[in-house]
Amino acid sequence: MLRVARALVVHELLERTRDRWVLVISLVFASLASAVSLYARSADAAAAHLAGPSLVTLISLVVPLVALVLGHDAVVGERERNTLGLLLSLPVGKLEVVLAKFLGRALALSVAVGLGLGAALAIAPAAERAVMMALVFPTLKLGVAFLSIGVLVSAVARRQITAASMAVTLWFLFVFFYDLGLLGLLVVTDGGVSQQTIAGLVCANPAGLYRVEMMTLFAGPDGLKNLGLAVPLPSAALSAGIWAAWIALPPVISGLLLRFEKAKR
Amino acid sequence: MQSLGLEKVSVRFGAVHALSNVSLGLRAGETVMLVGPNGAGKSTLIRVLLGLVRPDAGKLTIDGRDRVVDNAFKTDLGYLPEAVAFAENLSGRQVLSFFASARGVSRKRVDEVLERVGLTHAKKRAVRGYSRGMRQRLGLGLSILSTPQLLILDEPTGGLDQEGLAVLWSILHDWREAGRLVLLASHELTLMERRIDRMCVLQNGKAIADDSPAKIREAASLAVSIHLSVGNGAYDRVRQSLEGASPSASVQAEPGELIVSVPPLELKTVLAVASAAQGIEAMRVVEPGLDDVYEHLLSGGD
Repeated sequence: MLRVARALVVHELLERTRDRWVLVISLVFASLASAVSLYARSADAAAAHLAGPSLVTLISLVVPLVALVLGHDAVVGERERNTLGLLLSLPVGKLEVVLAKFLGRALALSVAVGLGLGAALAIAPAAERAVMMALVFPTLKLGVAFLSIGVLVSAVARRQITAASMAVTLWFLFVFFYDLGLLGLLVVTDGGVSQQTIAGLVCANPAGLYRVEMMTLFAGPDGLKNLGLAVPLPSAALSAGIWAAWIALPPVISGLLLRFEKAKR
Repeated sequence: MQSLGLEKVSVRFGAVHALSNVSLGLRAGETVMLVGPNGAGKSTLIRVLLGLVRPDAGKLTIDGRDRVVDNAFKTDLGYLPEAVAFAENLSGRQVLSFFASARGVSRKRVDEVLERVGLTHAKKRAVRGYSRGMRQRLGLGLSILSTPQLLILDEPTGGLDQEGLAVLWSILHDWREAGRLVLLASHELTLMERRIDRMCVLQNGKAIADDSPAKIREAASLAVSIHLSVGNGAYDRVRQSLEGASPSASVQAEPGELIVSVPPLELKTVLAVASAAQGIEAMRVVEPGLDDVYEHLLSGGD
């Protein structure tokens, strides 16, 4: 079974490379990161410190979308192209197929993000390189978490177009409306909801957790206090747990959904 | 694998009975064809064998022992889906190489298979540039990659030209000679008739016939047509003598030709009368095709 899963992972990576997905996304990242980096190089010292936070803002918008789009057709695409049966005729279970597809796409995403940020690193001023290096792993976590959600979308949707709509809707929900919703909650309850709860809710969203972690990285815990969040950040263990849950649970749920579904006529 | 059996398999999708108590057996060296109209249950039956659909009742047996569709079973299985599709950006060789590495098959075998299905010249080309027939050949190659004991082919003739059909026939021949099992679903009854040992006719999820084409044809007992070219002047005389030859024979008059429909059991008698009649210039016997027998079965034998 491991042999089949390994072959599936390599196949996924090869497909994404051949359809130039990796190349395109690498170029997008490289352009964004390089633009920010070049700005930092040309701006005065005070403004140069904004390069990292600017990049974080860009990443927190672009990476979730790219990852959701990458994941949205993992299962439903195979189903619609009539290739799922062929894959499942291999000596491998449905859960393993979904996990292997997820892993293959996670690798493709990692290569794309790595290449993009790597290109930006090459032209970044020496002072900014450490900041950019610090961004690589959290950015991969963010991307893989949203890829994972995309894979779940692909298992739930019956048509690829539905999956694409769901992916875009989820992007809006996680990246924009979630925070607006929390603000709305504060307004509606007239501050009745504790900061602790709000902070917990912010960190429950992978996009929120990423932003909080990155703000802490650039400005330290005081930076958050300056923003009015006078609450302790989730511990490293809790943070790791939240990331692990977002990364691991959706593909497992997708595999189980596929395993227990009664195939349609 | 010497035999495979599905016993009293039932599958329901909500209120729809996709399969109702269907039993089917395959023995070593046998090629069995599933036929039936769309929605009859052919694909569902194949999906049961692939483990894609879990039956509500019934069981699968291999060599007489109860089995479930697990990874060990799928190791011995080759499958060609209907309207086969592949990753469009990969080359034919890359597609086969992926399945080869997943099944633990050597790269040498990939090239052998590409040669066998006549795609060596196109092996480096992306599948996106393949014609439908080439894709079907690639699918055929994929199904035999690991030389499986059980070959399941869903509409294997789709898009194949004469050369492609020759590849298919040679695969079916080899599998039979090697004592392996083949289950295929097809609507091409006439093309397939000489290449199969048995056919199982499904209708509304039920098996309404399961036997060799010859026996099914015999049981259907459809009328045989005798086409007679009759010379001027002999027309009425020949017609009268034929009508008198068999009470069940019906004679249809066409310009310059008489067409006699006669039950198979009375064919010899009518042929004897026709041969003895004066004024017949040519005679041709047309047996009902397997398509006619199939239509007859689906119409309930009326």
